[in-house]
Amino acid sequence: MIEAKGVSLRFPNGTMALKDIDLQVEPGDMVYVTGPSGSGKTSLLKIFMGIEYPTVGSLKVLGQPMTKGQTAGIRQLRKIIGPVFQEFKLIAGRTVMENVMLGMRFLDLPQVQLKDNASNALVKVGLEHKALSLVENLSWGESQRVAIARAVARKPVLILADEPTGNLDKDNALNILELLTSFVDEKTAVVITTHATHLINAEKNSKYIRMDNGSLSWERLG
Amino acid sequence: MKTVFLNAGYFLKEVKTMIRLNLISNILTALSTGLIFFILAMIISGWWVSSHVVNVVQGEAEINVYLDESVVSTNTDVMQLVESIKGLEGARAARLVDKEEAYRKMVEILGKEASVLKNFEDNPFSSFIELKINLAEIDPVLERLNHMVGVEHVRDNRAVLDRLRNIAGLLKLVGFLVVVAVGISTLVIISHIIRLEISNNKEQINTLRLLGAPETFIAFPFLLEGLLLTLGGGILAVALAAFSVSYLYARTAGPLPFIPLPPQETLLSGITLVVMLLSAVLGIVGSFLGLSSVNGE
Repeated sequence: MIEAKGVSLRFPNGTMALKDIDLQVEPGDMVYVTGPSGSGKTSLLKIFMGIEYPTVGSLKVLGQPMTKGQTAGIRQLRKIIGPVFQEFKLIAGRTVMENVMLGMRFLDLPQVQLKDNASNALVKVGLEHKALSLVENLSWGESQRVAIARAVARKPVLILADEPTGNLDKDNALNILELLTSFVDEKTAVVITTHATHLINAEKNSKYIRMDNGSLSWERLG
Repeated sequence: MKTVFLNAGYFLKEVKTMIRLNLISNILTALSTGLIFFILAMIISGWWVSSHVVNVVQGEAEINVYLDESVVSTNTDVMQLVESIKGLEGARAARLVDKEEAYRKMVEILGKEASVLKNFEDNPFSSFIELKINLAEIDPVLERLNHMVGVEHVRDNRAVLDRLRNIAGLLKLVGFLVVVAVGISTLVIISHIIRLEISNNKEQINTLRLLGAPETFIAFPFLLEGLLLTLGGGILAVALAAFSVSYLYARTAGPLPFIPLPPQETLLSGITLVVMLLSAVLGIVGSFLGLSSVNGE
């Protein structure tokens, strides 16, 4: 699903965000990426989503080469990825339901399926009662759960979640991790960046990656 | 196309939200395009009416042939002359208007002022031959008439026709210029408002791109917004034009019944069609310009 070989990312100001990353993620893998702030966790997810491009090395996500000239292919790839952004990226002035449905509108799904998927995702994140609330009226934690619902509602083959539990209390964080883990059974690969190492439940197929100053070290748990 | 069809409701809702979130700007845009289209509608009306008047007057072009009564003294002579004139190439119809009919015609024309004719002891008008002609052949007809025995002089209304034709030509030119000016102003206004909307929704556009939305999906609500704003302006312009045309017709038809105006319904449906088509086209093109000017930003 993800195949990175010798990937480095250097920002225009010269900062090396990622250094010589080698990584392989298979269908059904649950990958936890931890590390201190500024270690390169978000940059790693950004190159997987095609927001940044590797300056050195080769990266393929679901077979799609992640290089600057591949805009159309990357746009197609994003349709089958479920991204959860650290800053949520919810659309103000719209309801929770509209935000969750927005991620599926261009997937040519029938209207009924669109609504079903969105409703089910909201039930899974425990926000079905907030479906008609405007997103600007939600708490930080609720906004995070809407962002997760938007990502999972489209039934992606790869979930890339940047700090999805960062603003949640322990119970809600565990629920979200459990929800994201449940997709692994359907052969969906999940990559999560998190500070909350104490919440990580090592299971079969879980991979634990530590980022430090742009470099990666990883080991299989469980 | 399938995506657009499946999301028609969503797009309309998005446009409604965008308009609501930037209400004052959008109302002012619709109002200003409406007023611009109103000016266009009035110029088109003027052009249309003047062309119609010219066509009608040209179709009914007639010249008056006055008789040399020393030569044509008997009724038989006059009728022979009428027949000869009728036979001229370019003549469509000819008939004798006797002195009494000439007097009655002048009374009709003068209306309230006709009392001035009472100052004459005798009928001051002479009989003449009313000749309807094809306007294109006015020169050879006049040439032949001037050489006919029994014709004293010929009065044509060429100067009036020429002036009308000039006015119609001028209105046509002004019309073209106004269409160009309206086109450019509308394109500038609409592309500007779309740029503004794109700027206001930058975060949303960015999010949609990250979720994999195609550019057409992202752009469609903006396109629709531009279209709806100009159509709104068009509807406003048509309403104002309908009111103004009705008012002007009421003011013209009574006091100046001899001006051959086109039927009001025909004029209004023509204006509606032109303004709405133009507003739709300009709305779409303006939105495209706005979108393409920020493409890739």
